[in-house]
Amino acid sequence: MPIHDQGYRHYAGRRRPHGTAWWVIARQQIRTVLSQKRYLALLLLAWIPFVARVVQIYLAANFQQAAFLATSAQLFRGFLDQQGLFVFLLIVGASGAIADDRRANALQVYLSKPLTRVEYIAGKLFAPMAFVLGVTLLPALLLLVVHVAFAGSLTFVTQNLYLLPAILLYSITLALIGTFTMVALSSLSKSRRFTALTFTGLFFFTTAMYQVLLRITGSRLWAMISPRDLLSVIGDAAFRIPGERALPLWAALLAATAIIGASGLVLERRIRGVEVVK
Amino acid sequence: MTTRPALPAPPTFATGAVRVFGLSLGEMLWSRRTVFLMLVTGVPVFVALVFRIVQSTGVAPLRVNSAPVDGGAIFGMMIWVFFLRFIVPVLGVFYGTALLADEVEDRTITYLFTRPIRRGAVLMGKYLAYLVSTSLVVLPSVVLVYFLLVPLGQVARTFTAFAADLGLLALGLAAYGALFALVGAALKRPLVSGLVFVFGWEQIALIVPGYVKRFTVAHYVQGLVPHAMPSDGVAAVLQSVLRDNPPALVCILALAGVVAVSLWLGVRAVESREYVLDQ
Amino acid sequence: MIVTSEHLSKWYGQVSGLNDVSVVVPDGITGLLGPNGAGKSTFMKLITGQLRPSKGQVRVLGEPIWDNPVLYQRIGFCPEQDAFYDRMTGREWVTALAGLHGFDERAAADAAARAIEKVELTDAADRKIGSYSKGMRQRIKLAQAIAHEPELLILDEPLSGMDPLMRRRTVKQIKEWARAGTSVLVSSHILHEIEAMTSNIVLINNGRLVAEGDVHQIRDLIDEHPHTVSIRTSQTHAVARELLADEGVISVRFEPDGLVVETMRPDAFYARVTDLAAGGRFGPINEITSPDDNLQAVFRYLVKA
Repeated sequence: MPIHDQGYRHYAGRRRPHGTAWWVIARQQIRTVLSQKRYLALLLLAWIPFVARVVQIYLAANFQQAAFLATSAQLFRGFLDQQGLFVFLLIVGASGAIADDRRANALQVYLSKPLTRVEYIAGKLFAPMAFVLGVTLLPALLLLVVHVAFAGSLTFVTQNLYLLPAILLYSITLALIGTFTMVALSSLSKSRRFTALTFTGLFFFTTAMYQVLLRITGSRLWAMISPRDLLSVIGDAAFRIPGERALPLWAALLAATAIIGASGLVLERRIRGVEVVK
Repeated sequence: MTTRPALPAPPTFATGAVRVFGLSLGEMLWSRRTVFLMLVTGVPVFVALVFRIVQSTGVAPLRVNSAPVDGGAIFGMMIWVFFLRFIVPVLGVFYGTALLADEVEDRTITYLFTRPIRRGAVLMGKYLAYLVSTSLVVLPSVVLVYFLLVPLGQVARTFTAFAADLGLLALGLAAYGALFALVGAALKRPLVSGLVFVFGWEQIALIVPGYVKRFTVAHYVQGLVPHAMPSDGVAAVLQSVLRDNPPALVCILALAGVVAVSLWLGVRAVESREYVLDQ
Repeated sequence: MIVTSEHLSKWYGQVSGLNDVSVVVPDGITGLLGPNGAGKSTFMKLITGQLRPSKGQVRVLGEPIWDNPVLYQRIGFCPEQDAFYDRMTGREWVTALAGLHGFDERAAADAAARAIEKVELTDAADRKIGSYSKGMRQRIKLAQAIAHEPELLILDEPLSGMDPLMRRRTVKQIKEWARAGTSVLVSSHILHEIEAMTSNIVLINNGRLVAEGDVHQIRDLIDEHPHTVSIRTSQTHAVARELLADEGVISVRFEPDGLVVETMRPDAFYARVTDLAAGGRFGPINEITSPDDNLQAVFRYLVKA
């Protein structure tokens, strides 16, 4: 029977299982980002430091004169630090994640579908997190692989087994703090520009605050208010970089968890199908 | 057919700007953005309060870089670190780039551009509203910080410098605001350009020897600061070493020039540009 | 003439929004029609000075509109978008916008109060616009457009969001303004309501001007679609036999209580039917109507063509 002659009937095709709707949102976000040339350019540019490090590893592995460039934990730490600017720009690019939906009154539409709030938030978090990990975790792991390939042995890796969890810990913490904070801020506004500026402001302001409070009180515990310095502590501790740290690792991780938790609470309160107008 | 009542003459540029100022001031002052700004400018006040409380309990004197310092020095440091390097330029970007962009995004620009006033007057009115709003939030914060940090006995001695601080911050707000009003009027993505200017170009230009630093607003604003620049990082040390302070009059004239030229160019940009609203 | 355009074109990059539109909009009420994406919004933006023509020119009230803000003293514009300063009350908003026309504070407040009264929003004037319903928001938009009593009102979808009763009242209000001397150019999708206001239209499709003028005159000019005439009579076969003798009659269809005739020569046909009715040979002819001598039919024929 032709379709136009068929009356209303239930969909008989295959349905995705419950709990997978977040992927629809995430996929759409990823497609939207990748369709914009400036983001594609940014993602490509973010791999230039990787190429530079590959050259460094190659030279160190093949030329005695370049022995001073030998691979060490500092290489990975430094590489991940270098990616900071790209990570910042990628996260700022996610400023419209929820703000755009609020502006278009789309939250009601989303939440009237068989989609839970958790799935919605997960979908919104996934894309920026994937991009951040794509320029931090992925190239850092590839650098390990590249080193093994050029060195022709697993000696470095087996002697520095902590590197793998260090890369994972630092990259994932960076991605979680950045994306949770940004998406939470995005849920507070209908303007992506305002969200981007607020995030930028908070980022630099907390750093400035830490510096001032450090000078005034002499206590480095104030690093807990500065995500930038928190990540620095986590990175140094994870990669076993020698030197005095502002905080013990556990305190830094606790503070990071608190930031992520606070962002989660904001999201839980803000993602609603209705808005009360007083 | 009824006789149409005589309409008043269309407002002049200045009157139009003042009317738009009146319309925009309320919107700006009570917006969420300004509430956030108040929170941000409240942080230095909080820090100053903490300092005052600690000092009043008689605990060991506070030190900056291991040297005991008084409230006046800390006030100077906070002027540098909080206000000059962060609050003033970021506010300029935050508000300046959004003067018309917010109206375009909210699709209310149509109501302003279909009135018998020049589009440039709309920009001017919004700029004036920005200047008043930010001054009303930032300057009282500076006043509170000053009186919390500086002991009463030192007020007479330091008051001139304090007045200079208020003046230079107001001038800085005016200059950055005007510059980013132009950026917002002329460029499609003003926010990124603004952030790159403030946190990229200005930071680099200030540590490059020679006259490159004259192409920054920070050079002239910092030239008016009566306090020593704190050395809190490599960039700050380099900036203090390479700093050459132009005379105060040159700084004031340069900043006034930035304001005048930026606003003039901004007016021209707004009056020639088409604003297509998202449907 | 309130609006004249000559070879008016507007491109957005490679996309043509409007193409070579030359039109003269007379005084009175004129409906601007067209399907979605036809170019109506582009035309509206050009005649309200929000966009600059890529080619050609447009004059409003005899003057170029682009970069001519003084002209807005005589124009009131009610845009389509549902956008306001939500924190302001309706009264504050209309007063502030009236103030931009040069009124002093008191005069602006009076003008706003009068305008708000005309759109029947006095009771809600001191509530924040953010708490208004869609229909109320539409009315406050109208209020800001009429507060300064302009010579020309340009209304983009003015009835959108209004309930049927308010729509009728607004249509009536628009006709009253026109009777009082204000020219009105109204863009809408709701054809029967445009028809209730005016028979003078400008029809745009695919960025081009398709038709302008009186609906009935336009209908007469649409040759490829024969006119449909419905005749109510009890002697259907006899009347049909008579009418089929006419060369201009293309078809006759029998209905339960009459005939539906298609003819290429409506004037001659009406004269023939009048003779038949007057002669009385075939019994009474109770009703003669033309189902497609209206805006919907014109719109359908021209847009689908």
